Amino acid sequence: MPVLSSIGSQLVNLCSALLLLTCFAIVAQRRLSACVDLFALQSAFLVLTATLVAYLTGNQHIYIAAALTGVIKVIIIPRVLKKIIDRLNVKRELVMYVNVPAGLLICGGLVMLAFFIAQPIIPLGSLLTRDSLAIALAIVLIGLFTMIARQKAVTQLVGFLVMENGLFLGATAATHGMPLIVELGVFFDVLIAALIAGIYTNRLQDAFDSVNTDRLTILKE
Amino acid sequence: MLNLLWVLLGGYVAGILLPFCLPRDPNAQNLMTSVPAIVATSAGVVLGLLGLTSSEPVTGSLASTIPLLTLAIRLDSLAAFFVLTISVVGLAASIYAIGYLRHFAGRTSIATLGALFNAYLLAMTFVVLADNGFFFLLAWELMSLLSYFLVVTEHEKADVRYAGLFYLIMTHVGTAFIVVAFLIFFQSTGSFSFETFRHPGQPLHEGMKTLVFLMALIGFGTKAGIVPLHVWLPYAHPVAPSHVSAVMSGVMIKTAIYGLIRVYFDFFGGQFPWWWGFTVLLLGATSALLGVMYALMEHDLKRLLAFHSVENIGIILLGIGVGMIFQSYGLKELAALGLLAGIYHTINHALFKALLFLGAGSLLYATDTRNMEEYGGLLRRMPWTGLFFLIGAVSISALPPTNGFVSEWLVFQSLFLSFQIPTVFLKLMLPIAAAILALTGVLVLACFAKAFGITFLAQPRSAHARHAEEAPVPMRIAMGFLATFCVALGIAPMVVVPLLDRVVTPLAGISIARNILAIDGWALAPVNVEFSSLSTPVLALLLVALSLLGLALAVTLGGRLKPRRYKTWGCGINLSPRMEYTATGFVQPIKRVFSTIYQPTVKLETEFLDESRYFAKRRHFEFHIEPIFEKYLYDPLVAFFAALADRLKVIQAGSLHLYLTYIFVTLIALLLLAV
Repeated sequence: MPVLSSIGSQLVNLCSALLLLTCFAIVAQRRLSACVDLFALQSAFLVLTATLVAYLTGNQHIYIAAALTGVIKVIIIPRVLKKIIDRLNVKRELVMYVNVPAGLLICGGLVMLAFFIAQPIIPLGSLLTRDSLAIALAIVLIGLFTMIARQKAVTQLVGFLVMENGLFLGATAATHGMPLIVELGVFFDVLIAALIAGIYTNRLQDAFDSVNTDRLTILKE
Repeated sequence: MLNLLWVLLGGYVAGILLPFCLPRDPNAQNLMTSVPAIVATSAGVVLGLLGLTSSEPVTGSLASTIPLLTLAIRLDSLAAFFVLTISVVGLAASIYAIGYLRHFAGRTSIATLGALFNAYLLAMTFVVLADNGFFFLLAWELMSLLSYFLVVTEHEKADVRYAGLFYLIMTHVGTAFIVVAFLIFFQSTGSFSFETFRHPGQPLHEGMKTLVFLMALIGFGTKAGIVPLHVWLPYAHPVAPSHVSAVMSGVMIKTAIYGLIRVYFDFFGGQFPWWWGFTVLLLGATSALLGVMYALMEHDLKRLLAFHSVENIGIILLGIGVGMIFQSYGLKELAALGLLAGIYHTINHALFKALLFLGAGSLLYATDTRNMEEYGGLLRRMPWTGLFFLIGAVSISALPPTNGFVSEWLVFQSLFLSFQIPTVFLKLMLPIAAAILALTGVLVLACFAKAFGITFLAQPRSAHARHAEEAPVPMRIAMGFLATFCVALGIAPMVVVPLLDRVVTPLAGISIARNILAIDGWALAPVNVEFSSLSTPVLALLLVALSLLGLALAVTLGGRLKPRRYKTWGCGINLSPRMEYTATGFVQPIKRVFSTIYQPTVKLETEFLDESRYFAKRRHFEFHIEPIFEKYLYDPLVAFFAALADRLKVIQAGSLHLYLTYIFVTLIALLLLAV
């Protein structure tokens, strides 16, 4: 059924592209609560992609992974982050290391880099998820870049979670999902990491009256 | 035999878990941890003896889920010998602990201490049983870590923490070298199994063999405490609880000897050039001499004993080294003799050093101090401890009729036999080694004359010593147990030698028990009866007969025997402890003679009376010896690494963003490189 397969491939590519688009939106967004909303949206696209892949390849366990993504990344983690934002009363990124236009340009460069790097691997992938791998790599790089370019701990946490989304997309795209046990482990890790980072942000606020992570430099002897 | 192994395992595990079931009662915890240890070590003793006498090695293995790791064990005669040694000393230490742990009640958790001790003995047993490199390293590292935790039992004291840290760093550096040695084997054989180490598909490259030799020497040497890697012993051994010191000094450092024999004689099958043996010999001689010389200057009893461990490891290595030299010249009988001497000294040292450490523990228990200058007159207050300590002191000084004498005599014999080596250089060097060993022996005697005399004789020098009481019964039983072995192994070498011969036979490829034992079975004669022979029972009888003769002469020829009790005449002045010979004063002549090595700094300050310069009001005397190795080897090394770390501090700005940038840049660079 080449028609279905080609349509499916198009759909997967579309969803992946939407994921990438939300990344750019996160980089461009200054308001923290909007960043969290965008992350939730990105996770929702990820759920869609995973479900599509699961349906098209017939791998049952990807459904489970998709459902877990939905519960953890679309509902629980955004809620936790919103609570932190409310408690800390920090609404916006005020000072950025890299301003928004420059950040967007760099992210564009990173996408090109990702496609360039993935070039030799792409023909090896299955027809269905060919370009997703490069997109996943781009998302990981942009997530890391967000962590570097932003000051507030909450945004950095969002960057970290974006990276994780990228990794999940990559795993689904390249190998039709990791073994279920690994995925369960990763979900657990991400949840714990988000919780720990939440606590850490609170402590940061208590200790320095700020959630700017650059204040940590004064811990140096 | 595997059933016994399960008993041993079960005993130790029970000793680890049971004390935690009784959270409140320290005395019950004490029993719950010591009794299973006694059961387990007893099983170990039987297992060791059975392993020594059985003709075929016992093997067993369990697969594990970790790649390359197979829990394989192999009880051959060498492993059995070390299991026996560990278990005998462990047994004594466990009995001792029943009394000694009371000392710690209320200060630290008895349950934790006991559990750690059980786990430590278990790990050590598996070090010698392991038949897989990975498993060996796992047990080795476990043993090192557990001993670290035991060393820092009294971690509220700053010097204990320092000693612990020092030990931890040294032992990890040592382990790193051993890992390298094993990895070289792994690289060429593709397996961690000792069986493939023994019979690799293709033999190791010559250069690689040399590398393995050096790595194993440094790695195991650190644990054994050969000069100049010995610096951790005088820190770590004194601060550990005494029954732990006994095990650490008595058997843990011997696991390194096991490792060396395993690698050189078993894995390499005794195929190595002569300079390997010579290096071992040289290190052995240096360790023996320097160990005893530093011991002489120590007045902390446990530090003194720790330095003697360095010395005795030196003597063991002299035996093994000379065995290795003979082996490379194909003189198999002599190689077996040297090896046998080394192994004999291994168990002897384990016995008497454990005994002495337990004795030192009893003194510490009774007086709360390790400083010898505060002892004195303890023989009257602690007669049993005094007797057992004396037996230990006689053994370590290698005097008949104790075990130290026999094994040192055998080491001497193998050194004297060097005239059979075809090289002139070695013919010259080996007698020099024998001379160094002789000098060492004399200095050890001086050192223990000091240790026993200052501690037990004369009048108490402090309130601590005045109020000392004899150690509790379990502690005395443990010391008596070891003392009995010290004498037994000295009087009955003809029973011991055939057993040890079973250890040596597969390593040297020849059995020499029949050559060594004279035809009548009562004497040892390493070469032939004309060259040298030794009959210890006769010697012991002779000693007894001579002392009886002396007594008889005194009775018949001497004057009246009726004792008169009177104060020692002190020229009309009342005697006080301040007039006694101090430990510092005792070793003053030796310090003078060897001042090039000690480089002592002496400071004498006198405060005079205002009226006249002829009368001193107060004098202050200080003397230090230069810690040469720490000052010229370790301090520069530490300074170098500290300077390097200072340089690296530049990139450690403490900024999270900077660190993330490092990761980001590295990632991009690597990705681009990969394309």
